[in-house]
Amino acid sequence: MLASSGQRMIPKLKSFTIRRFTQPAISEQNEYTDVPNYPPILDTSLQGRKQRKRETLYENIKALKTVEEKQIALNMPRYYGWPCIMFKENSVPYNAMPFVQYYTKTYFKSIHKLPDTYNNTSTLTDTVLKDVKSHIEDCIAFENIGIERKIEICSDLRVEQQMEDLKTKEIVKQINRIIMNNITDKVPHILSTQVDYEPRHEAFWFMGGGAVPRKVINWRKQYPWLRKDRLNEAFDKPVQYIGSPMLTLRNNLPLRPIIPYNEAENPEFKVNEFEYVPESVGYVLEHRYGTNIPGFWPGDQDEFGLLSYHGRGHIINRKESFGAEDNLEALHCQAIKSSFGWLLAQANYQGFTTYNDITYPLTTQTVITNGQLLSFYVYQLNTITMNIDAVNTNPKHNICYGTKPMELYETIEDGKVKGLNEDTLKMLIQFYVNAPVERDHELKPYLGDEEQVVADIEEDERRNWLEATYKHIVSNRPKHVLMPEIYLWEKIYKIQHNTRFFEAKKRPFELGINPFKRRLDEHLPPYIPKVLRPYPKCRKKFETMYYPKI
Amino acid sequence: MSTRWYPIYQRGNPQLRVFLPNFWMKLVRPLPQQASNIVHFQCSMEMTKHDIKNYLDKIYNVPIIDIRTKITTGRFRKDAGKGYIVKDDDIKYAMVVLPKTMTFEFPNIFEKKKGDLEDDTKSLEETKKSFRKYINRNKDRPDVPSWFSI
Repeated sequence: MLASSGQRMIPKLKSFTIRRFTQPAISEQNEYTDVPNYPPILDTSLQGRKQRKRETLYENIKALKTVEEKQIALNMPRYYGWPCIMFKENSVPYNAMPFVQYYTKTYFKSIHKLPDTYNNTSTLTDTVLKDVKSHIEDCIAFENIGIERKIEICSDLRVEQQMEDLKTKEIVKQINRIIMNNITDKVPHILSTQVDYEPRHEAFWFMGGGAVPRKVINWRKQYPWLRKDRLNEAFDKPVQYIGSPMLTLRNNLPLRPIIPYNEAENPEFKVNEFEYVPESVGYVLEHRYGTNIPGFWPGDQDEFGLLSYHGRGHIINRKESFGAEDNLEALHCQAIKSSFGWLLAQANYQGFTTYNDITYPLTTQTVITNGQLLSFYVYQLNTITMNIDAVNTNPKHNICYGTKPMELYETIEDGKVKGLNEDTLKMLIQFYVNAPVERDHELKPYLGDEEQVVADIEEDERRNWLEATYKHIVSNRPKHVLMPEIYLWEKIYKIQHNTRFFEAKKRPFELGINPFKRRLDEHLPPYIPKVLRPYPKCRKKFETMYYPKI
Repeated sequence: MSTRWYPIYQRGNPQLRVFLPNFWMKLVRPLPQQASNIVHFQCSMEMTKHDIKNYLDKIYNVPIIDIRTKITTGRFRKDAGKGYIVKDDDIKYAMVVLPKTMTFEFPNIFEKKKGDLEDDTKSLEETKKSFRKYINRNKDRPDVPSWFSI
């Protein structure tokens, strides 16, 4: 016993020994230069220091090597997730267009025919149209009249909406099958294209502009240093998009941009600021982790979207008083939200985040349909940064071209489709024929050379840990332990009125702790039971955690 | 319609002929950062969205697109005399959405007219003068009530 304690003392004793000789780390010759070399002058004001702190965060996230680590890093500051403004694909409140445009920085342009870049494939489109037309007529008639569907109705949506969406899903599947089968041997990219049915699309970003909520202003009013001039100081509001298209196509190459990238800075595309809070439109907040999922996991080869089909059943669910004009705007909103959301998630898989802007434009095509009416949208993503440092200084804007709903056919009489609109069908085929091309620049500048996704990491323990943590975060499963809460009786008798001053102060709000500011890694690592520790002796009681250091 | 308790009629009492409805709506100033086509009301707790729509549409012919309601908790305050904590009544708010082409601006109810300030200062001066006169008259006879004079 004595011997062992004596041995333990030795390393301690070592630290007590005094260093007798010292010498400078840099030799004296290097200390002087011909031209005075001053350190940069830094802004030492509070705003300046805060901005520098944010910029180091952006740089640290940029320097992370893999997609998954960047996604975990976005969620690092919050153990309980972010209070996100929820952009759901199929619920659009009244007069939401200005809000949606500002929060996605999208300029919308109404068009009657597709942009000029689609014109060079017209001969091919005509031949495909001739082949496909009769098949599509048959399939529409069959899906509408020939099938008696047994539908499991869920209770929280209107029956008509569910019926329409279900029928549309089948029609879309058939139309996609017919067109793809026909053009596989005519255009090369279709063969390598993946088809997803009802994929999961989620996207997360920070919005620095817009009004500061009333609650925040009231909170700031109680502190004199905030009340003075920082009452309306902007902060990053987290936004989360969630949607599920009926069908998507994706390829290993991206589509061509519609307009050149430098055109994105054109002041013509400027979007007006939406100066009210999201709640005034009808958008609500939800506490969750930010997730970016474009319908597949990182590491998939086909990571660029070509085309997505969306249902328009939610239009039935809207109130009659909203009117036809607002219903049309709701379709535009749905297209802007879903196109931006999908492209943003794709950009995240290329290593860009809401803090690090994309270096090249991405494009997608969106169709919103109910089987009879089709509206076509072409979206070009030019920028994804709109945090407080970029929202007013970033000149780039995204662009969305969209048509009104067009009829695919007039009616179905005697089991046959009457009045098939060839122009509408032609536009749809043009979307399929539009081929993705190889880009001559680097696609993933912010990802590592060898490690681009977690699966590339060689170290087993770190790879497995990161994979499990990433999947756990994006699953957004509820926690085992409930979120902290201030009970109403505490608010009344402890916070608003100090009637229980004699009690011990134990609750977080009494100790001046905001539990929602807890960071993701502020928890005890998993315990290693003694039997599982390496033989014969191991002092390591807890497993290592590999949270990204930002 | 009313659920109010009216005094039970006793012979000889005057007949009550006024029946106030349960349904009332009070136009309130909206919080800032609210779109200009949204109007805020406080309304009776019993009113549903349909009631609010009918109330505004049928009586005042207001075109209504959408109605959102919320019930806010009343304020908790210390009772002035007793010192214990009491709670004010809850309030039901109705946010009424008008067509986006329309705008509503809350009227300035207590608007001051041009001559108002001068009139106010004049009457204040007069009151001050009469009070000074009263003090002067009574300075030699303290503790005498004001009505005790010729």
